[in-house]
Amino acid sequence: MRNSSELTRREFIVKSVTAISAVYVIPDLIPKAVAAKPLDLEVSAKTKWAINVDVNKCVDGCTACVEACVDENGLYGFDRPETDSQWIRKLRIKDIKTDKVTTLPMMCQHCENPPCVDVCPTGASFRREDGIVMVNQHTCIGCRYCMMACPFKARSFVHENLTEQVTSAPRGKGCVESCNLCVNRIDHGSETTACEEACMKEGHHAITFGDLADPNSRVSLAMQAKPSRRLREDLKLKQRVTYSGF
Amino acid sequence: MSQLIKMLAISIMVFVPISSHSHDGEKHSLIGESKADKLDQCVEPTEVMQKEHFEFLYHQRENTVEKGIRTKNHSLANCIDCHVSYDEKGKAIPVNAEGQFCQTCHVKTAVNIDCFSCHATVPRDNSSKIKSTGYNQNIHIESTANNLVEYYKETNYEK
Repeated sequence: MRNSSELTRREFIVKSVTAISAVYVIPDLIPKAVAAKPLDLEVSAKTKWAINVDVNKCVDGCTACVEACVDENGLYGFDRPETDSQWIRKLRIKDIKTDKVTTLPMMCQHCENPPCVDVCPTGASFRREDGIVMVNQHTCIGCRYCMMACPFKARSFVHENLTEQVTSAPRGKGCVESCNLCVNRIDHGSETTACEEACMKEGHHAITFGDLADPNSRVSLAMQAKPSRRLREDLKLKQRVTYSGF
Repeated sequence: MSQLIKMLAISIMVFVPISSHSHDGEKHSLIGESKADKLDQCVEPTEVMQKEHFEFLYHQRENTVEKGIRTKNHSLANCIDCHVSYDEKGKAIPVNAEGQFCQTCHVKTAVNIDCFSCHATVPRDNSSKIKSTGYNQNIHIESTANNLVEYYKETNYEK
């Protein structure tokens, strides 16, 4: 006769294994992008934000990431494409030998050795501890050296007075600006940038964002799955944005 | 004795201007209503805020931009969120508009504010709110994006 409150040996083992796996194993199996940082904590080099772009999944003609970026950061221009700000743009490149056409999103590559930081006379162009290269617009004097130094044409200059800025992305005349990996969103615990979210919504999954320091983050998994490379590797800039599939 | 009076006079001359500011004891009489109207005190005592709000803002801006600290208490976005007035229709009036919170004192004390050439003057969240406020703006965003795309297609496409 068995007392119902007591466990059999088998039940005990099954239940304890389940409990242990629920606590330790299962959370590790779910791909994470972010260990959310409390708002009052400084960013640290323990986090390494990065983006991986799978060029094969990027669809020709799709501009979801560009639109999402414009929307997120309030990059309303003046219908003057040559001078209006663009933080991310779509490129269409053709291999001369094979005629293969590739499209890819191009944005600030968040170099570990950023030339824009080297040339900045005021220290406004800087690299944050977690790897985001951005402009401190309080100290930017608008000299545009960084725009000239950037091999990827990633930065834009605001030429005109702006009025419709969004709260999360202050920007104004006389300053240089560029992709900052949606720094406001990320600091507030978001796991995606606007461009990645848009790309996922479209179902393309070409852009993957995450923390390189975490081997289970989406970006780490994407980079493990496919070989990836940096653009212009000869410049030794060690970009955090990498491209797979070409 | 005369030295004492002199000291007293000097101390009055030194300390009185510091303790006076644009609206001593006056209440704000602003157009519209804001969340701040209903509160007794800002994030610090009113006296401190009147004299030192910019110090808090400077400190916070370094912390936020360089170190990624996003606490609410001394952030400009939070100031605006609380101090922005809304008119009868519920529309936010820019804080730097005439007769509004920031502008009233800064005009009186003749101190120019530079915040709002870059920072939003009303709480303006991205995407979701912009989409809900207007159809036209949406089209504008799309047209801007499309223009950019067209432009880069033209300039980067090898024919």
